[in-house]
Amino acid sequence: MAERGMSGRPEYLTPVPEPRREPDAGALLRAVARGDEQAFGKLYDLVAPRVYGLIRRVLRDPAQAEEVAQEVMVEVWRSAARFDPERGSPTAWVFTIAHRRAVDRVRAEQAATDRTIRAGAAAVDTPYDAVADEVTGRLERQQVRHCLDDLTELQRQAVTLAYYQGHTYPQVSELLKVPLATVKTRMRDGLIRLRDCLESGVAA
Amino acid sequence: MSEDVHALVGAYALDALDDLERMAFSRHLRECEPCRVEAAELQETVTRLADGAWSVPPPSLRDSVLAEIATTRQIAPAGPEQSRRNPKPRRLRLVAAAAAVVAVVGAGAAVWTVQDQRVRQAETLAEQARTSESRLRSILAAPDLVVREQRLTSGGRVTMAMSRLRDAGVVTLVADGAPGSDRVYQLWTIHGETPSSAGAMAVGQSTMVQVVEGLSGTSAIGVTVEPAPGSTTPTSPADALLKII
Repeated sequence: MAERGMSGRPEYLTPVPEPRREPDAGALLRAVARGDEQAFGKLYDLVAPRVYGLIRRVLRDPAQAEEVAQEVMVEVWRSAARFDPERGSPTAWVFTIAHRRAVDRVRAEQAATDRTIRAGAAAVDTPYDAVADEVTGRLERQQVRHCLDDLTELQRQAVTLAYYQGHTYPQVSELLKVPLATVKTRMRDGLIRLRDCLESGVAA
Repeated sequence: MSEDVHALVGAYALDALDDLERMAFSRHLRECEPCRVEAAELQETVTRLADGAWSVPPPSLRDSVLAEIATTRQIAPAGPEQSRRNPKPRRLRLVAAAAAVVAVVGAGAAVWTVQDQRVRQAETLAEQARTSESRLRSILAAPDLVVREQRLTSGGRVTMAMSRLRDAGVVTLVADGAPGSDRVYQLWTIHGETPSSAGAMAVGQSTMVQVVEGLSGTSAIGVTVEPAPGSTTPTSPADALLKII
């Protein structure tokens, strides 16, 4: 408990991986694994806005995002039985599939080049598309934003360039002009710091 | 060596490894219990980043997905042969890995040139962007930040996040699509009755983020669709008008 330091948060308040507003994602996913289409509909309503939003953010193209989001949700249906609760939360499982698909698409895609240019050409003031959502989704993700702000500049850039833009760590290294080893380290310690910050803010 | 590999755990959680490294790292995870725990924890954290990317999917998506799953067979739970308790003989696994490597390299070569180019172009943009980014962050971090939003008649939304303290705002325009081959979205700040351009998008572009300096005297933010590359005064009725006073 001593290492909790200033927060003074008792040990038993350690946050569960599942956010409170979706208590039954696990139950839904188990039902889906048994072929329950109605449960799938409910699971869809629970995760689709984030699945679609995440993919759209990485791909930046609504039409493609819709296509990939459909693939992802069908994959969730198809492989629901393979979800292993011991390896993480149901939502983490879904978003990991979603993010990986989006990243695969963005990397394999020829149009990626055009998209990068298009997104930045007219507005020099556009650092990342990430900012667009940062503004609009502000209320929902105040905590995430607060915790991202808590990172060092390099940690934050390494994390967001990879996650929201689908860059590999060598690409991030080149973009930020820092050595590969540094990028690796910053991604890791950035995420650790993010994790600690998100945990400590659960009560907020 | 193992510690060396493990340094990639952050990049792994962020999906920032290429396919080869991802495979290698997954192998590493199979052999290292504490590493699996850390990777799972960081993946859990990374998932929270998706919270903020919330965006309403088109209603048609739900119907398409439900129609498709109705005819999609589900796969069975992982059987014992899938389990890591029962690894194939080592030599066999190496052969399988080598085959996978060949397959991936084949697919990878085609996109490499594109990737390389993309990195260089993105680099230039990132450099331009870095200067304005700190300003943007400082506005968004302002304690008195107020956010207003307005639908675009043509589909999409314009959002203004503004701070009196910083005397500035960040306008985000996210349209459902670009307005046509020779038309562009243009942003206006309106002082009293007079609109002045706050920037136009490029043809084919449907999102932009713009910092607007000097809020005092600005009564509204307007969006119009203009002939490319933009007009000096609005030539069409407002697609959206966002009052800020």
